[in-house]
Amino acid sequence: MKRYIIYACLLALLFTACSKDFLEKKNPNAVAVDDFWKTEADVLAALGSTYNLLRNVNTGYWGVRGVELSNGRGDDFFIRNDVKDLYSLSTFTNNPDNGVLNSLWEGSYQAIFRANQILERTDGIAAVSDENKKQYKAEARFLRALNYFILVTNFGDVPIRLTIPAGTEEYPIAKSPEAEVWKQIEEDLGAAVTDLPVKWPAEWTGRATKGAALGYLGKAYLYQKQWAKAAAAFQQLMGAPYAYNLTASYEDNFTATRENNEESVFEIQVQDVGGANPWATSGPAESIGVTTAQEFAPSLVSGWFEAYPTNKVLNEFKKELTTTGDFDPRMYATLVWQGQEGTFYKQPISRFFPTEYSFTSRFKKYQNWQNENELRGSGGGNYSSNINERALRFADILLMYAEALTMQGRPAEAYAPVKRIRDRAQLAALPAGYTQEQMMAEIRHQRMIEFCREGLRFYDLKRWGLLQQELTNSDKVGRNFYVPEKHDYYPIPQQEIDANGQMKQNPLW
Amino acid sequence: MQRRMNRSCNLICMLLLCLLCTSRLPAQSGSVVTGTVTDSASTPLPGVSITEKGKTTGTVTGPDGRYRISVSNPNATLVFTFIGYQPQEVPLNGRAAANVQLQQGSRQLGELVVVGYGTIRKSDLTGAVASVKAGDLVTAGMNNVSKALQGKIAGVQIESAGGDPGSGTRVLVRGVGTLNNNSPLYIVDGVQVTGINNLMPSDIASIEVLKDASAAAIYGSRAANGVVLVTTRSGAGGKTAISFNAYYGVQQLARKMDVLNASEWARVSNAAHDAAGVPRLDIARNPDSLGAGTDWQDEVYRTAPIQSYELNVSGGGENGNYSISGGYFNQEGIVKVTGYNRLNLRIKSETTKGRFKIGETVIISREKTITMPGGWGGQGGNPVGSAVKMIPVFQVYDPGAQGGYAGAYGPVVNVANPMAQLNLESIWNRYTNVITNAYAEVSLFKGLTYKFNLGYIYTGGQAFDYAQRYKVGELFAHATNDLWERRDERNFVMGENTLNYSNTFGKHRLQVLAGYASQVSRFRTDSASVQDLPDGVKVLDAGAGVRSSGGYELQSGLLSILGRVVYSYDDRYLLTASFRRDGSSRFSPAHRYGNFPSIALGWNIGNEEFFKPLSKTISQLKLRTSYGILGNQEMADYQYIATIATNLNYVTGVDQSKWYGAIQRALVDPNIKWENTSTFNVGVDAGFFDNKLTLTADYYIKHTTDILMNLPIPGSVGVTSDPVMNAGAIYNRGLEIAAAYNGRLGELSYGVNATFALDRNKVDKLLGGLPLYGGQPTHHGSSTTTTREGGSVGAFYLIKTDGIFNSQEEIEAYRDKDGDLIQPNASPGDIRFVDANGDGIISDEDKQYCGSAFPKFSYGLGFNARWKGFDLNMFFQGTVGNKIYNGLRMDLDGMNLEFNYSKATLNAWTPERHTDFPRAVIDDPNYNTRVSDRFLESGTYLRMRSLQLGYALPGALLRRVGVDGLRAYVSFDNLFTITGYDGYNPDIGRGSSILDRGVDFGHVEYPLTRTATIGVQLNF
Repeated sequence: MKRYIIYACLLALLFTACSKDFLEKKNPNAVAVDDFWKTEADVLAALGSTYNLLRNVNTGYWGVRGVELSNGRGDDFFIRNDVKDLYSLSTFTNNPDNGVLNSLWEGSYQAIFRANQILERTDGIAAVSDENKKQYKAEARFLRALNYFILVTNFGDVPIRLTIPAGTEEYPIAKSPEAEVWKQIEEDLGAAVTDLPVKWPAEWTGRATKGAALGYLGKAYLYQKQWAKAAAAFQQLMGAPYAYNLTASYEDNFTATRENNEESVFEIQVQDVGGANPWATSGPAESIGVTTAQEFAPSLVSGWFEAYPTNKVLNEFKKELTTTGDFDPRMYATLVWQGQEGTFYKQPISRFFPTEYSFTSRFKKYQNWQNENELRGSGGGNYSSNINERALRFADILLMYAEALTMQGRPAEAYAPVKRIRDRAQLAALPAGYTQEQMMAEIRHQRMIEFCREGLRFYDLKRWGLLQQELTNSDKVGRNFYVPEKHDYYPIPQQEIDANGQMKQNPLW
Repeated sequence: MQRRMNRSCNLICMLLLCLLCTSRLPAQSGSVVTGTVTDSASTPLPGVSITEKGKTTGTVTGPDGRYRISVSNPNATLVFTFIGYQPQEVPLNGRAAANVQLQQGSRQLGELVVVGYGTIRKSDLTGAVASVKAGDLVTAGMNNVSKALQGKIAGVQIESAGGDPGSGTRVLVRGVGTLNNNSPLYIVDGVQVTGINNLMPSDIASIEVLKDASAAAIYGSRAANGVVLVTTRSGAGGKTAISFNAYYGVQQLARKMDVLNASEWARVSNAAHDAAGVPRLDIARNPDSLGAGTDWQDEVYRTAPIQSYELNVSGGGENGNYSISGGYFNQEGIVKVTGYNRLNLRIKSETTKGRFKIGETVIISREKTITMPGGWGGQGGNPVGSAVKMIPVFQVYDPGAQGGYAGAYGPVVNVANPMAQLNLESIWNRYTNVITNAYAEVSLFKGLTYKFNLGYIYTGGQAFDYAQRYKVGELFAHATNDLWERRDERNFVMGENTLNYSNTFGKHRLQVLAGYASQVSRFRTDSASVQDLPDGVKVLDAGAGVRSSGGYELQSGLLSILGRVVYSYDDRYLLTASFRRDGSSRFSPAHRYGNFPSIALGWNIGNEEFFKPLSKTISQLKLRTSYGILGNQEMADYQYIATIATNLNYVTGVDQSKWYGAIQRALVDPNIKWENTSTFNVGVDAGFFDNKLTLTADYYIKHTTDILMNLPIPGSVGVTSDPVMNAGAIYNRGLEIAAAYNGRLGELSYGVNATFALDRNKVDKLLGGLPLYGGQPTHHGSSTTTTREGGSVGAFYLIKTDGIFNSQEEIEAYRDKDGDLIQPNASPGDIRFVDANGDGIISDEDKQYCGSAFPKFSYGLGFNARWKGFDLNMFFQGTVGNKIYNGLRMDLDGMNLEFNYSKATLNAWTPERHTDFPRAVIDDPNYNTRVSDRFLESGTYLRMRSLQLGYALPGALLRRVGVDGLRAYVSFDNLFTITGYDGYNPDIGRGSSILDRGVDFGHVEYPLTRTATIGVQLNF
């Protein structure tokens, strides 16, 4: 009997060996959301993570795919038939199930989700001063507006989401009309203008400023053809407290040496810091550089030659010579072309021609063409470029200002901003007495060459109602597949439609 | 506290192991008896236990059924026992030889079947349990255990997961119960393991598959997909037995893809460019001068050797037995450079002392896999994909280039030279796996035993990826030598305390089990990489460039109580009831525990008095039925708590420095709870003509609710990953039949066995009511499968094609109700798509049901025969009625991208020659290559899975040299496949998502091999 008691004790011991908190496993890899949002550093990290998406390799509007998307449908741009999803988008032969498109959609909403968190959570942090709270929230609203701007210009009617979904039932939401999206953008930017600083201290250069918010606000009005409001916004940027000006050299806007300069209104910060992998879309291995330069570099220097300027845009550059009879300096900064003297990637330009296609020029803007190739970034990242993408330049402000004035029937007042653009390009003074149409023609011509490869052309043509005409008279591949109205917007990505019971496809798709 | 506890657990384990390794070896004495054991059909039976009555020493028969045993006196009695057969006692009466014929147990009283936490008599079994013994498993010549099971068990589908060296298999028990992980739970000698591919096939004594809820319920969680119980070989008392198995073989690519040679490609390419009105490619200028060019498949594939050596020593004494085995396996891949090797060591012993019994199993394996690179960016994919897509005009080598390889140039798709990929990037990983199980059992009083079982698994992994600097053609360049390495470690500890009571009261037999179990798993990994190493140096220290590192940890715990009652009355009426309650760390405290009950009833009609007159014909008949609920928690850890993602960095400041970013980027559902599967099963076991013919049939209905999965949520929510939710419910119902017949014609004995299974699944409910989409077949293209309420899982929904437009008039005639052209971009030679919804646009809205990835039924058919020393084993398997989406063909038939095409494109439509194959056009404005039923094919196949021919040398001859048995064989794997399917292999399997089932990812999937081996089995 005694033995059984011993066995029983032994048993009891073994049975109790494991306690209940044995099942309480905290995630050892990350802080729980409830333990975050406690300090100023948390808010700053949250803001950093929201900016991070702007240059994400797959989803960022200023990452490589974004640059290809925003430029790809222009009459000045060709994307070769390598990545099928990109080629089909650029030739108007894509379907709604295009993966690249879905990435852009998701990336924009990811940024909005992050901005919404900052807006909801910052107020509850005791350690942050009221002054700073206002500023952080203004910055979050700027970022939210910027992403809705990307969405509305590319997709039209889109869902508006301003809060963190409380539960699964709040995941699917319907589209709001374009006008409401614009209204939301205006509201957010208005608030951002109020509470953002004019300038950041040197260690925070690159963050959104009051001027950036005002610039985008004006742009939002311009895209809605609210000319007076647009002009009023741009007009404020012409003087104090702002100190915007055109750089003396146009090319300074597309190199890594003069980043965040006087012409920069909003600039995407790109640097080969962090890890070495440009395709790691987050985490410690991710290089914060972008691969766009490698993607566009010629194969002669081991680039992937994914994009070319059309001959139409090359000819546009050649239309007007400088006062000294040379080509426009912007042509030199934007392209290298067949027959040009000089070197490119330390080799004679002539070696890069003829191209693999019928196009007779290549992109130089935003390329690290002074180097031998684009294989390594300055920090060692593979294919990483350091050149900040200038999202909003003062040159754009000037030309939009000129347009807003002209479209109000005040072409005479547009001379001054246009002159600043032309002067830097060493072009002769315009004849006096331009009509509205003449001035608009000039603005259209200037915008086409000033902003080539900066992702504005397609949207400008759409605003002006000239897509059909300008595609037709170009050497754009795929122009014959362009269907008016249908291709003014991208389709809502199929994945969104599949997962969102309230979503409707865009017309004609 | 918890950590201390685990440490003490480890200590106990080590102590136990030390104790167990001291079992005594047997002593030899007396005279020697030899003989052969056969079944009623005179088929030799390997693995039969033979003991001298009254002693615990003994031996087992060899592969030819022969045995040799020392007995203490010439008049001893030998006891022959073998699972599934009636035990037989044979008095020797001074004989030195005794040939014995064992009768298959018509009552099968003696046979024990391994079920969870113990064994029960087969006659008492009420659940659907399939049991395969070593004798039925042709493990010789098989590179892994589960492959040997293929087609042997009805309702258990085993698919090869590709032909990669060391590749595993995908095991599905009773169809698709869930939308997450469908793989069953594996238990090896009492320890829960993640897979059984690292086991040595000849180590297996038996495999039991628990298919229904009653059988599996004792395992509660994870058992919903079935349980595979593996028992490794034990030693038998008596003589020390040594067996040695070896084989050597060669493998080949089972099927080569028919792609164009250089001049053919150039012609098709030129036609495609001309049709689109774009300039021809420079490299295609002069088709005639190009000749055949490079055959990239010939470059990449090779005839590769495979070899295996396995040695087992076993024996036992009065109070114990042991079995020790070791092995080496080496398989080179048919894709050059790739390969796999494995070293195995296994020790198993059991010692009895008084009322105590202690035993252990230690299985150590060390595996190394050399894999091919996954891709170098661009669109070619891995070398398998590149081998068919690489344009044959390009050269393999370029001695002048950095790295030595040539490659693609010009405006073609970035497909890397596969030989450069294989040779310039070196990737391998190595796993060391130690599975230990130790138990101590004490019988407390009659019928009651207490058992403490401790399992411990250590898995240490190492992964290595070195890419040297290269310039391969114009499209691929890498400036530096880069190295990435990873180490990981997984520790898994499980402890089980069980009380087992077993007794017989008259006609009542009772078996009661109660237990308490816990398990904890901890995984931790670190990785690091560095760039810019000096040539030839491959260590992290030496790199001059950027370094980065990473790492994470995962922990989980499971706490359970369990109980089972097995009751039988007069061997006629049977009852099994079991219950398990599991608590999992993967759920929040409010939803942590799940209860999993089951009940089963059985009726041995064959044992009824009224049935006796029939017993000559129907020697056995049993009806079974069961119902039970099982759980599933197959999802990642920590899914119910939202966390902050780190290192979402940006750049700031004049000096452009890193700005550390962190935020919540995913949403969670804090209320996720256990997934449950309730199963109703009804089955019959029957034996005819003295069990010469046996039949087992089961019908089941399975209902899985609260399915856990990462439910796709709208991108507009703004999260980077989908939350795990209880997303839906699925019904499965099915029928499984297994039959076997053993017969005899003169000196020829033979056996036929067949399995048949059909399973139908139906989605009962999906959260939110929206369908799930999956199966994106290539780099391009939309989903192919749609899983919707009321439909089946992963059903093919595709746009249908309706022939080719042969003229402009036909295109003009194809209009919608408003009179608008439905395919405005079409030209003659393009495909006519069906506008199913009549909206005038061909879009995803026009998808229609086109078939299922699941077969109407699947079957296995085996034959074996013996004549004198010769034996023949054949096994066929197949499926009927399933569809496969041929993703690779979608690329190769396309003629819309600048890479190589299939031979079929030579038959493309031209204005002069109208065919059913669309025209060549490089920009494909009509989307002829879109996802459509054009690429959906029948997956029906019949494969000769294996063929083995063996010869066992006559015993008399062998004994003169002290050998008990020697058998030599030749064996063939995948000798032929009869199928209409165009891809590499209709037996496709990719484990990633059940929604991808039936989609052939031939552009990345390692193709199947055909193997021929010769081998020997030696016993002494």
